[in-house]
Amino acid sequence: MTGLNRNILRIILMLSYVAIIAFVVFGISSLYSYLNTGADRSSILHTEIKKADQYLPKIIWASLNNEGRPMDEQTLNTIENNYLDAWYVKHIAYKTNKTDGINDYYTESARENIFNIIEHNVSENITIEETTLEHHPTLEFFSEDGQLAVITDKDVIEYKRLYKNENIVLETKEKSTYKIILLLEDGYWRIRHIIKKEVSNYSENITTVSHDKIAVKGINYYPQATPWNMFGDAFNADIISKDFKLIKETGLNSIRIFVPYASFGKASVNTEKLMKLIQVLDLAEAQELKVVVTLFDFYGDYSVLDWTLNQRHAETIVTALKDHNALLAWDIKNEPNLDFESRGRQQVVAWLDQMIDLVKSVDEEHPVTIGWSNAKSATMLKDKLDLITFHYYEDLDNLEKTYDSLKLETPEKPLVITEFGISSYKGLWNPFGYSESDQAAYHKKAQHIFNENEISFMSWTLYDFTKIPKEVVGRLPWHKRTQAYFGFINQKGETKPAFKYISKQ
Amino acid sequence: MRFKYVHLLVLVMILLSFTASMKSLKINDTFRLLTPQTEFEAGHDITLKFSTNSDSKPDLYLSNSYGSIIIKPVINRSSLSYQLPKSLGNKTGMISWKLLGSTLYGKLNIHPKQEVATMETYLGPPSIETGETDYTMLVVIPTDIHDNPLKDNTQVSVMYQFLANESHDTIYMKNSISYKNIYSKTKTGRMLISSECLNKNSKEYDINILPTIPTDFTITYNRNHEYADGNQITTFSTSIIKDKYDNIVSDGTYVDFFITNASNDILKTSGSTVQGIATAKIIHPDHQDIWEVKAFVKGISESDSISVTYKQSITYFKVAFSEGNKAITVGPLKSFMGQMIPDGLEVKLHILQNNIKIKTFYKDSFTGYATFNLNLDSFPDSTYTFKIETAGIEKTYRNIKL
Repeated sequence: MTGLNRNILRIILMLSYVAIIAFVVFGISSLYSYLNTGADRSSILHTEIKKADQYLPKIIWASLNNEGRPMDEQTLNTIENNYLDAWYVKHIAYKTNKTDGINDYYTESARENIFNIIEHNVSENITIEETTLEHHPTLEFFSEDGQLAVITDKDVIEYKRLYKNENIVLETKEKSTYKIILLLEDGYWRIRHIIKKEVSNYSENITTVSHDKIAVKGINYYPQATPWNMFGDAFNADIISKDFKLIKETGLNSIRIFVPYASFGKASVNTEKLMKLIQVLDLAEAQELKVVVTLFDFYGDYSVLDWTLNQRHAETIVTALKDHNALLAWDIKNEPNLDFESRGRQQVVAWLDQMIDLVKSVDEEHPVTIGWSNAKSATMLKDKLDLITFHYYEDLDNLEKTYDSLKLETPEKPLVITEFGISSYKGLWNPFGYSESDQAAYHKKAQHIFNENEISFMSWTLYDFTKIPKEVVGRLPWHKRTQAYFGFINQKGETKPAFKYISKQ
Repeated sequence: MRFKYVHLLVLVMILLSFTASMKSLKINDTFRLLTPQTEFEAGHDITLKFSTNSDSKPDLYLSNSYGSIIIKPVINRSSLSYQLPKSLGNKTGMISWKLLGSTLYGKLNIHPKQEVATMETYLGPPSIETGETDYTMLVVIPTDIHDNPLKDNTQVSVMYQFLANESHDTIYMKNSISYKNIYSKTKTGRMLISSECLNKNSKEYDINILPTIPTDFTITYNRNHEYADGNQITTFSTSIIKDKYDNIVSDGTYVDFFITNASNDILKTSGSTVQGIATAKIIHPDHQDIWEVKAFVKGISESDSISVTYKQSITYFKVAFSEGNKAITVGPLKSFMGQMIPDGLEVKLHILQNNIKIKTFYKDSFTGYATFNLNLDSFPDSTYTFKIETAGIEKTYRNIKL
């Protein structure tokens, strides 16, 4: 008994010794690494340019025909920047109920009005998320000494979302006309007076594109080596061209591709990547494939103050592609309904709503859709969309029923299933998964249903992938492995049994 | 057992309170706007009244030129009253409203109070030039007590006083401001400006009307004597420089005098004007010379050209060698009356060997003499030619042994 006690004592002593040593080593090492931290050498010279795009509503100046002193481009530019900054700081102030920045862009007597409103909103626990989407300013007057300017800002499109006690109580879109007197003080053009001259409720005139018959037989496409990073440095037109040829040969007529928001440069779209995107459409056209372009991949902010940046992004891409023969449709966002929980349903839907308006205002020809992740969500915004698309990963037995009931709810709009498929992964992380022959049976059955009911479809996806970025399904290996095996062609480049049913039963 | 009842009671009460607070707008609630007025003057109390047939009390959304708020109603039996905060009712422009949870919306228009509280005045640039083409601009923003610019087309009078004249103009507000271009006259001076709107007068503002650019002018010179003694000073002066309207140019106008001497070198002196006259000074040359002088206001105007002649002041000097030709004394250097030349006249000694100049020494005269002490170590034993030069006169001594 004493022997055992002594052994226990020994073990405890030894373990505590190890623990103390480990703790001391950890302490010394963290002290050492702390002493080795410091400023990055490249930051010594302060050479970086700090200006970031924060707020870029569409601004269209009327041609200059002002009274007083003739305006020069540089001053007009400064006025524009300061004027938009004044709106931006006001949006921030009403969102946070703080007054930071207001003093820079409003004169002493003008800022009082904003402070009064903030005071009221603080006492009532009201916050406002707002932005302006369009400005149409006219310079009315510029004083001879260059210190005072009057502008009329026509048809300012304002979106506001008001919260009371953290609940949304109102969403409103207004079209207003303002008269603004600006003074140059301390190098800033500050708002001295702003007077709302006109206001009305605003709703975009939506023209829906009628498409008599869209018989889509397509596939979601990523090159095998660079899934979710199609336009990066490893972009290879030869591979894509070969893939498109293969897709065409299987009897499919269209593809669906994705444009990632951040890596395309957000508000100022990277020209090089845009060229690659156009090249992809050129290659598709060469194979007579139509392309559904899905915008805003990997974007999940939706905040109101981000809208103007999102709009400049979409505007650039849509403008660049809208006349392309290969373009089939615009998919505003892939599976936005999955963000309802984290970002709020109303917030996401409001974002989608304005983005549909924007895309349609640039491209009136091509149908606009949203790639809903399930059929249940697919009726949202259906009146604004030209094409209803959804993804179907549920049991095929219910497909006909789901499709029919959706068809009943949206009788005038064409329907396309833009993603479906199953993973043939069966292994360590998912021992009860489907085999490749299960996958083949699934696609055979799916094609049968599509054929019977004349359903347009786009499958997920051409290839099995080796690398799945964590942004797609997270870090969990069982998710990643499953995601990697949805293809018709395996990682070695051999066709899987399902390949036979890629476009027909 | 009693415990259970208490428990039940609490539960029921919680449930009841829930249903009470859950009471929200039903579709069939009807509200009707009872306030027909949509045009208001700034500063008035504004209350929007609605009749209702329900006991719900929706909030009202309001948005004016500066921002948006939500206000709560006051309930009076079958009507709801919403009193707009002063901060909204005081500012001109459109106010849009929406009754939350209903389809009712509308707008109000707030007009400025047509009474001037302040005359916000901007005048610039503060100085302009004569000639009836340059102008300054007066911007007047008459504002009411709530800091709103008055209505467009409100009349504003502008009053001026300049020299013996007083006059006034009438302008009208447009784009919430009023402005007037004020042109200069042909005379310089200070113009006083004020404005008036609806019996409220501004304070006094002034602008300076400055002369315009100078016209051509003449120059003269003045000196103690005409000798080139390298000591006295010649002063050049301009005539009174004026602009084309006969106004004396601004003090401080910079005038450059360019002097071209007989050997075509250019000397320069300059001065700035006081009461239209610029003066500039320069020391006499130390040898006989003729100067051509012309003055410029750079890039703008110029003077005529004058000629100034300087006579030779030293006609002859002696040179004495001593201490085995090591010490050379030049002098006495005598000026035009036989007086010793003032100190500081430059004397040059060139030493040549086989007609090649090997060294030059410079000395300033002192009490009429200049003495050179040669360091023999720097000259190998040989014969040299010495050339002595001062006041434009040169003397040569050959075969000097060192």
